[in-house]
Amino acid sequence: MPKVIEKRTVDMQIIGDWVEPRACVLDLGCGRGQLLDYLVQTKQVSAIGVDLDLAKITACVRRGLVAYQGDMTGFMRAFPERHFDRVICSRTVHELNDPAEVILEALRVARAVTVGFVNHGYWKNRFNTLTRGRKVRNVIYPTEWFESRPANPVTIADFEDFCRVKGIRIARRAHLLGDWRKPCRALPNLLAGYALYDLAR
Amino acid sequence: MIDAEPEKPLPGTAAPRPGAPGDVGLVKPSDFVHAHPFTFGNGLTIPGFTLRYETYGRLNTTRDNAVLICHALSGDHHCAGWHAGEDRKPGWWNNLIGPGKAVDTGRFFVICANVLGGCQGSTGPSSVNPATGRPYGLDFPFVTISDMVRSQKLLLEHLGIAELHAVIGGSMGGMTATQFAIEFPGLVRRVLAMATTARESAQAIAFNEVGRQAIMQDPAWNRGAYPREGGPRVGLAIARMMAHITYLSDASMDRKFGRRRTQTGAPAADPGAGAPAAADIQFEVESYLRYQGQSFINRFDANTYLYITRALDQFDLALGKASLEAALAPVLAETLVVGFASDWLFPPEQNRAIVLALLRAGKRASYAELATDLGHDSFLLESEELYTLVRAFLEREQVVFDFAI
Repeated sequence: MPKVIEKRTVDMQIIGDWVEPRACVLDLGCGRGQLLDYLVQTKQVSAIGVDLDLAKITACVRRGLVAYQGDMTGFMRAFPERHFDRVICSRTVHELNDPAEVILEALRVARAVTVGFVNHGYWKNRFNTLTRGRKVRNVIYPTEWFESRPANPVTIADFEDFCRVKGIRIARRAHLLGDWRKPCRALPNLLAGYALYDLAR
Repeated sequence: MIDAEPEKPLPGTAAPRPGAPGDVGLVKPSDFVHAHPFTFGNGLTIPGFTLRYETYGRLNTTRDNAVLICHALSGDHHCAGWHAGEDRKPGWWNNLIGPGKAVDTGRFFVICANVLGGCQGSTGPSSVNPATGRPYGLDFPFVTISDMVRSQKLLLEHLGIAELHAVIGGSMGGMTATQFAIEFPGLVRRVLAMATTARESAQAIAFNEVGRQAIMQDPAWNRGAYPREGGPRVGLAIARMMAHITYLSDASMDRKFGRRRTQTGAPAADPGAGAPAAADIQFEVESYLRYQGQSFINRFDANTYLYITRALDQFDLALGKASLEAALAPVLAETLVVGFASDWLFPPEQNRAIVLALLRAGKRASYAELATDLGHDSFLLESEELYTLVRAFLEREQVVFDFAI
């Protein structure tokens, strides 16, 4: 299995462990619907995906998923408080124009919000920048700066600070080592390659 | 659409002819005669009605592969195939419907009927009122989208169809499809609505009113009492010209016509030779619109235009309900709404509103948007992206869902 696919699967398994069976789940930046499809099959969730790209929405529709093409904040504003059980924001936060607005809106429309992101504080990323003096490139981010979407790299320290400032309760966290598989038990901002957070108000 | 006319083929791209691969070929309309009284939503009754319809493909033995196509304002039952080999154009959605196409007639039994109140063979204001022996004219009962739906339900019963794999329509057809899923939830498994709205906006009503005024101010309208071959031809042509503009977009008109001049409108090489007269056609876009107006009056009835634009204007799913989601509460179908970025008649926001209300009501509903610049008529577009989406929605494996959630 290629390394990237393997990493994606790990992400899915942890999120799958956190999602309650038959929950109503909203996936922000759902892509082609792999995660939602997995959650429908393993947890019988009622799933809705949001994405900006027509080809991705079409792929979701083909999988039998409910999908909405459009802006995620605008979408969430159309719903009353606690309409969903859980909002998932997996590997999307670093590309958002206003991550605080999206996360706070997600906390309004759902009881729980799962955020997963690549930790840019991970030592290899720091080392990469220090030695090469260039934009980080690895299996996850293989592209040159000029062929990449605008990104707002986030670290575990940044994210925990954000939660503290905004008064967001961290119900659960999972820090994974560079292989995105083994748990990271110490110095996560330095040693974890991937972080998952389960947020509540 | 309201526009039932596919784009003229570009020079050099011959239109597919009957018998071409993917074409349903020669088709014949049928008439469904309902010989019992039909009561409209407003309580008025007619002694019976006829719906002209076409079908393509075969109904399977389990009778669950039927797909109902709903046409727009000026459309009709002829949505695919050809009536004669020498026809200039095939049915209005021929690009979407046929063997192996997005709506695959090798798989689905496709039905399309001219609406009640129409003028292409179904009973409407131009039909003869059995009580007087003359055309109904304005004595025809006010028609609503709901009346169109209930009359087509009777056609489905006649055909022995108790379950529709999908109801598909654009513009007014999208309204009809949504209304179907509300009125007959058990009948409809999927709704595919494009370039549509849950209620006509003030702008859309305003456009329709200009069209109606053009008709009613034409002396030949005569309060709806005109002979079959006569009537307000000038008014109807102007109504069509104006409406046609709302189906296009600034970008698409600029691409198609720009400021190109007609021969009579070309500025004279010698400035002394005199400019074209104010009354002459000067620009190609004018010539195109006049052509649209003229071809429309040969196939459409002015009173039907009044009735159906009124049906559109009255359409408001939430009317009399606490909210749009309350209106959509009965729906059991899974819905896909497709909006088009450049549609300024029923803009993307109005298409999104249907999906958001369905989702708030706990229904399964998806929204997709195409970034075409062809305006409202984009739903008739030849677009592989649209075909792929339609196919994905119609042909994916059936999921089992629990409505109790």
